[in-house]
Amino acid sequence: MSLLSINIDSKVYSGSKNTLKVLEDIHLEIGEGELVCIAGPSGCGKTTFLNILAGLDSDYSGRVLYKGAPIIKCSQERMMIFQELGLFPWLNVQNNVEFGLKMKGIPKKKREQIALKYLEMVNLVKFKDYFIHNLSGGMKQRVALARALAMEPQVLLMDEPFASLDAQTRDMLHLELQKIWIATKKTIIFVTHNVREAVCLGDRVLVFSLAPAHVKASFKIDLARPRQIESEGLIEKVRPILTELKFEIERDYE
Amino acid sequence: MFKQVIFYSALLLLWHFLFSIKIWPAYLFPSPLKVLKAIIEGFRSHIFIIAILVSLRRALIGFGISILCGAVFGILMKKFKIIDDTFGKLVMGIQALPSISWFPLAILWFGLTETTIIFIAVMGSLFSITMSVYSGLKHIPKIYIQTARNMGARRMKMLWWVLIPAAAPSLIVGLKQGWSFAWRSLVAGELLFVSLGLGYLLMMGRELNDMSQIIAAIFIIILISVAVDRFVFGIMEARLKKRWGLEGAEAL
Ligand SMILES: Nc1ncnc2c1ncn2[C@@H]1O[C@H](COP(=O)(O)OP(=O)(O)O)[C@@H](O)[C@H]1O
Ligand SMILES: [Mg+2]
Repeated sequence: MSLLSINIDSKVYSGSKNTLKVLEDIHLEIGEGELVCIAGPSGCGKTTFLNILAGLDSDYSGRVLYKGAPIIKCSQERMMIFQELGLFPWLNVQNNVEFGLKMKGIPKKKREQIALKYLEMVNLVKFKDYFIHNLSGGMKQRVALARALAMEPQVLLMDEPFASLDAQTRDMLHLELQKIWIATKKTIIFVTHNVREAVCLGDRVLVFSLAPAHVKASFKIDLARPRQIESEGLIEKVRPILTELKFEIERDYE
Repeated sequence: MFKQVIFYSALLLLWHFLFSIKIWPAYLFPSPLKVLKAIIEGFRSHIFIIAILVSLRRALIGFGISILCGAVFGILMKKFKIIDDTFGKLVMGIQALPSISWFPLAILWFGLTETTIIFIAVMGSLFSITMSVYSGLKHIPKIYIQTARNMGARRMKMLWWVLIPAAAPSLIVGLKQGWSFAWRSLVAGELLFVSLGLGYLLMMGRELNDMSQIIAAIFIIILISVAVDRFVFGIMEARLKKRWGLEGAEAL
């Protein structure tokens, strides 16, 4: 049985004047430990899709099962890393990472131990006393990752996390994320609008169509890991996916 | 700092000069030295200390009540739209009223008592605190709430560990403003009857025709305002800036 069994018939945003259908007929199975990348034109409904998987949005028609049970609310088993991150400016790095553990009522000593373990995993122990506004973009991403990992979830839902970073930082985080994925065996669903990034990270790359989004194409990527953007063989995999995505983007201009 | 020293020295010299050319009679325009003597005498005889303590105690009680009620009102207004649309609009209206206008009403309700003065201090600060709690909560980025929810924060935990700290930039502004309104209303209220306190010190000066005591009391009232601003709210603002960086400083 797959970990996530997704059957979304449709998702509609209804405003006071108009209604907007963003998702339509998405049927997917995601296995435990998979790293799935979703690529799609911006505004097609990727964030909406992740919100549904997280359990933050239950206003859709269809059925999404997690371990065989319908998702009705958000849970610490599926941690979302939002595009805007949502790190708390009033807490320092370590307390940000400890936040969820504190909500669970885990005692201080134990919290500290867990937080340091994950800060170490993302190479941020030295910065544990910093406040968020003093960190670079890449460091913020790593804090968000450590904070999500500290909840020890089964699934990580990542929404275009590296979109605003410079190329070098992004390359480094691609490597780190793959290392962490191999070490922790999490199931990761990673959303991006960058096809190279998707191929670099994913076992599988799904291309979403323009809104209303459905899965337009699915590609298996079986290159050796850890991969980098310039890894051998990667560019050949990118080309057909890019063609699919370009078709969608050009459709947007018509 | 250096500029300020020069400025105040010049001001004192000017004051002394105006005094020495005797345009106005000395009992209406005392010398700086006479005022200094009045201050020293006031502290020596404990009159000032008592007045300061009495006034501060009232201000703190009034401010405390305002914080408690303001928090409850602000949270209710944010939580229930109907309360915002009705009570919220009323608050806006009442806020425009100078708090001393409540004095006749308070006297009839509470008599010439301490409660009357505290009531006026509360009416001075309650609504600005209410509005700051409300707008602070209203403008919290949704992302904080979503991530906190994902990490298991609910209800009281959400309020205490997420909503209040996330609203802190606006809350500090509101508290600071609320305090200054409470303090001003309080002194105004104390002017009106035998009440001990700093306001009464001003009135006593008038009754005794003692201008140096009046000026001394004015100095003390200003000094306390500045000290609270600098040491209580100044420290809160500095802490906020350290944590939030520019983003938080913008709100101040
Ligand atoms: N809460 C909402 N209410 C109404 N429309 C929304 C809401 N959230 C997103 N949308 C719209 O739905 C579409 C898909 O949005 P989103 O899922 O954020 O796309 P993506 O993440 O792929 O860029 C966009 O056109 C967006 O404007
Ligand atoms: Mg998005």
